[in-house]
Amino acid sequence: MTPLLRREFLRQAGLSAAVLPFISGLPSLALAAPARPRQRLIVVFSPNGTIPPAFWPDQVGRDFQLKEILSPLAPYRDRMLTLHGLSNKVRGDGDGHMRGMSCLLTGIELLPGNIMGGSGVPAGWASGISIDQEIKNYFQSRDLTRTRFGSLEFGVGVQDRADPWTRMSYAGSGQPVAPISDPYQMHEKLYGQMKDRESLRSVLDPLKADLAKVRSLISAEDRRTLEQHEALVRQLEREITQSPTQTLRVTPPDLERGVADQNDNVPRLSRMQIDLLVNSFVNDMARVATLQYTKSVGGARMNWLDITDGHHGLSHEPDTDEAAQKKLIKINTWFAGEVRYLADKLAATPEPGADGSMLDHTLIVWTNELGKGNSHTLDNIPFVLLGGGFGFEMGRALKFDKVPHNRLHLALAHGAGHRLESFGKTELCSGGLLPLT
Amino acid sequence: MSRPSPLSLRTVAALVTLATAAAVVSCTVAPTVTIATGKQIYGQKCADCHGVRGEGVENKYKEALVGDWSLPRLVRYIEKNMPDDHPGTLAPRESEAVAAYVFESFYSPAAQARLHPARVELAHLTNAQYAATIADLIRAVGPPTAAESMTSDAPPGLTAAYFSVAQRGRFDAAKIAHRGTDAGVDFVFPENGELRARLTLPPLDRPATPNSREPAGFSAQWRGTVIPEETGDHEFVIRTPNSLRVWINAEPDLRSGVEPTLDINVSTPKNPDHRVTLRLLGGRAYPIAIDWWALPEKTGSPAVPAISLRWKPPHGSERPIPSRNLSPGKAAPTFVVSTRFPADDSSQGYERSSSVSKAWDEATTNAAFEVANHVVKHLDRLAGTRPNDPARTQKLAAFAEKFVGAAFRRPLTPEETQRNITTLMHTAPDVETGVRRVVLLALKSPHFLYTEIPAHESETTRTATRLAFYLWDSAPDAELARAAKEGRLRTREEVFTQAARLLTDQRARAKVREFFQHWLQLRYLEDLGKDTKLFPDFTPDIIDDLRASVGVFVDDVVWSERSDFRDLLRGDYLFANDRLATFYGLPAPVGVATSGEFARVTAPAGQRSGVLTHPYLLAALSYKATSSPIHRGVFLTRSIVGRALKPPPQAQTFDETSFDHGMTMREKVTKLTRSENCQGCHAVINPLGFSLEHFDAVGRYRTDDAGRPIDAASDYGDEDHGTVRLSGPRDVAEFAITSERANHAFIEALFQHLVKQTPRAYGTDTVAQLRNSFIASGYNVRTLIADIATLAALHGTAPTPLAAHSTRHSP
Repeated sequence: MTPLLRREFLRQAGLSAAVLPFISGLPSLALAAPARPRQRLIVVFSPNGTIPPAFWPDQVGRDFQLKEILSPLAPYRDRMLTLHGLSNKVRGDGDGHMRGMSCLLTGIELLPGNIMGGSGVPAGWASGISIDQEIKNYFQSRDLTRTRFGSLEFGVGVQDRADPWTRMSYAGSGQPVAPISDPYQMHEKLYGQMKDRESLRSVLDPLKADLAKVRSLISAEDRRTLEQHEALVRQLEREITQSPTQTLRVTPPDLERGVADQNDNVPRLSRMQIDLLVNSFVNDMARVATLQYTKSVGGARMNWLDITDGHHGLSHEPDTDEAAQKKLIKINTWFAGEVRYLADKLAATPEPGADGSMLDHTLIVWTNELGKGNSHTLDNIPFVLLGGGFGFEMGRALKFDKVPHNRLHLALAHGAGHRLESFGKTELCSGGLLPLT
Repeated sequence: MSRPSPLSLRTVAALVTLATAAAVVSCTVAPTVTIATGKQIYGQKCADCHGVRGEGVENKYKEALVGDWSLPRLVRYIEKNMPDDHPGTLAPRESEAVAAYVFESFYSPAAQARLHPARVELAHLTNAQYAATIADLIRAVGPPTAAESMTSDAPPGLTAAYFSVAQRGRFDAAKIAHRGTDAGVDFVFPENGELRARLTLPPLDRPATPNSREPAGFSAQWRGTVIPEETGDHEFVIRTPNSLRVWINAEPDLRSGVEPTLDINVSTPKNPDHRVTLRLLGGRAYPIAIDWWALPEKTGSPAVPAISLRWKPPHGSERPIPSRNLSPGKAAPTFVVSTRFPADDSSQGYERSSSVSKAWDEATTNAAFEVANHVVKHLDRLAGTRPNDPARTQKLAAFAEKFVGAAFRRPLTPEETQRNITTLMHTAPDVETGVRRVVLLALKSPHFLYTEIPAHESETTRTATRLAFYLWDSAPDAELARAAKEGRLRTREEVFTQAARLLTDQRARAKVREFFQHWLQLRYLEDLGKDTKLFPDFTPDIIDDLRASVGVFVDDVVWSERSDFRDLLRGDYLFANDRLATFYGLPAPVGVATSGEFARVTAPAGQRSGVLTHPYLLAALSYKATSSPIHRGVFLTRSIVGRALKPPPQAQTFDETSFDHGMTMREKVTKLTRSENCQGCHAVINPLGFSLEHFDAVGRYRTDDAGRPIDAASDYGDEDHGTVRLSGPRDVAEFAITSERANHAFIEALFQHLVKQTPRAYGTDTVAQLRNSFIASGYNVRTLIADIATLAALHGTAPTPLAAHSTRHSP
């Protein structure tokens, strides 16, 4: 692992804070005022269900009180929607966790397969695209909303394995999209080309010296070839130093060095990934992102909260186990704190070329694969929406009655301007998009 | 392959100019006075169309006046046909004078050699050399790899272990149900099937031991190496409805952090094909490992457990990987650079690299980054250190120096060490970035990219580098470097001994195989599709088999004890599997277990003659429905008897419907090319092509055409030998074996392929000398290869004459 030290890099490059060489393959980074306001979507996932009494507001409507788990989000109470009563009604193969995860964003059954869960029959991957990828494809299909990556899939502590418990994003039937859990890998994906350019620049002088030396050693007839070669190197040098420079709105974030992808580093990894995510959005590399904390059945041991039990094991403890309930509330509150960090960063960043903050143009959807861990229910799946840009009327606690969650996906698609008739399993879309506006 | 093949054009050409490249023709030197007269006449009557120095004139006669006709023939031609607007107006003496002037001044090969003296040109690595050099470089700078075991006498295939349980990611040695070598991996395991019984595999839905808590299902592991024949993209296809992990060209060890090449944890019964494309270098062994689990599926309609290891090699259709490409041996992974380079210059008839372009320079940059990324990603392993090693910085600096030395193929000067390593390491923000930049610079440097730079290395080091590139397309190995360091590369004997050793390596095999593909034009002969109504059994499988069969035949001849060139041309046998033997009416191959293996079968007496009659070539050199004596004749003219044909200035479509019904192919071609204009070349092409008329469009032996017996005999007129009676392919082979011109052309082509320079640059009689020793060695191909490499490697260092080979053994 080779973390890049940004300040050193910039110092080496002799660059001022925000002017960086043109990066080929990037669409315009000038970020002129957009013809219509940008819209962005971030889906945040945390696993193993919530503790409903400490999560759902008791009230309905504008006048609601945040419970303990959501308390870190209090500053954003007026920009939130809590959606109680959405059910993942996809049935078929696979156990509750598998369907909870792989049907969460797809709203469609799993394919036959050989992954045997704790109950039910074995199953495979989801049989359809997920809503984040659907909206990404829609954005990428239009010139005005197309970005270099379209979407970025971040993970935090997602184990290195591939099964329906670890994948929520799907490019299509049987095509899971793997999140990147390693911030250094993500950094390389986002900014690797720039590092290449700087390294190349640093070897040009000695390279020219090598060529000149060789030129002096060879025959006059061969010299022509070498002179051509030298001319190409000079051309390369011009391309690096004189090509039209473009402005990255922000430079790559400072990444702490050497943070291994391990359980105890999850808090640091989380912040690094969020920093990269917001940074990539400011530089308009993508308009859609997912941020996946561990996985369904994730067993992170949150030692940093003084909780040494695995998360999934705890989530199976009965409601009567008060100690376990307390720990689970603490865990879920910690996740809310990470969402808060994300929201704070977005709120603190002015929207490029437009009024307001980036949060005004970004909708965070925080969700979970289960309604409640110890019952494995797929009813009352936690859905908390935060931010803006999709035209929803925020600042409300809403309650529905076992409405299929596919209808929320429809609402998200419409909010992004993508007027789908149905999404996922058609039967679960009856009633149309969830009325959130 | 976007390059159009002149042979694939469905046109018949009237070829006007016949020439050979650099064949030395003995000639009578005309008296100076005649030449002076000739020059005068040429200036008055010829230069308008042909240019003052015979260079050609646009819109008149643009071809240069260069060729290999003898002087008398040139005289006859000029007398009869020139000047073009008033043919026959020159007096005999005038024709003689003009011919003499033209011949002496620029037409003859000797004149061309004088006008354009050859020299060893500065050349950068060819694309093949780049890939091979990088692969060996990464291996050389890394830690020693575990001994590779490639026992050639072991039966082909992969070692297999079957287990009576299925536990994801685990294989319990106590649960082995069966162990052995599988010739290939292409199995279906139906419930109650014979295979399940034989391997003692349990039913899928319950554990092997009743009532136990063991997981149900069964599993298997396959281990070994895969050996591709050609360099290029190989698409691997693993077809299974079950779970598996596959490592190809990677260590099968999850703990080492190496990601599996394919990791199919979740079964997808409806879409069982898992694909991955890997670029592989031909002739090298790559590790392959498969872990496979048949776990219980959904009750009701579970998929039948099955697995098929398939691939689509660069020139072939998708098929199970044949057993001949699998070996139960061990091999370490090889780093194969995937950056695409612009195609090497083939304009001289061989791939060479004496020019630079923007695209090439960009490719060297991209490839350097690819290598640098690989090195930095695996830096601790390569440099033998750990992230918390207190001596890490020193070890990485030492690694950087080792890398540059290996890349430059010589020790560094103090100045180079400072500039190319020390300064870069010190100015980089961290040590990894430092190594990255060192690698980048090393691989952009001319010292790495060019092979013939006179630098500060010792003479023996230069000889070693040349030898390795000639035979391996890569840098010297440790043993060769040691020989250079100890000064054991000064005499011909010493160099020849090393050349012989290098020839035993698979890299030499790969390079020689490429030569024969080039010589037989296999890269351009790919369209073997036939009229499916006429040849319904000529399937893609047959075509793949045929292509493999050519390679097996050439390999067998070249690497046999005799290594006899004559066997290549006149061997009365070929290599077949059951499918080919059945299709071509050959004796059944003996001792062949699978369709991927080929055995030597002897054709009925007198029917086949080495590569000349290999059905792959015969089928490729045919029309969809019929033979094509012209395509076959052009091939024999160029590749076998060694005459280069210029592209035809006018083309004629071969239109079947324009001929009278009932004409034989021979009659049609004769009619089509009967004009004087065509006969200039077709007098050579047609007799050679007609000699193969006993073979139909798919290369099967036949006795009649259009209801009449085949006539394969003709008189072939040759400049050097007069008229030769050719009654069939065997006569063509015998002629080519004895013909000086044919031998020279073969030797020159081989020289160019190995050395990437023209042999003329090593002396005007280089080819003739090589031919003498070639014949003296009994036409031993391997000796010739070692001779060429030795001669070129010692060029400019040891001016001793080529030693006789009577006392030397074949390498």
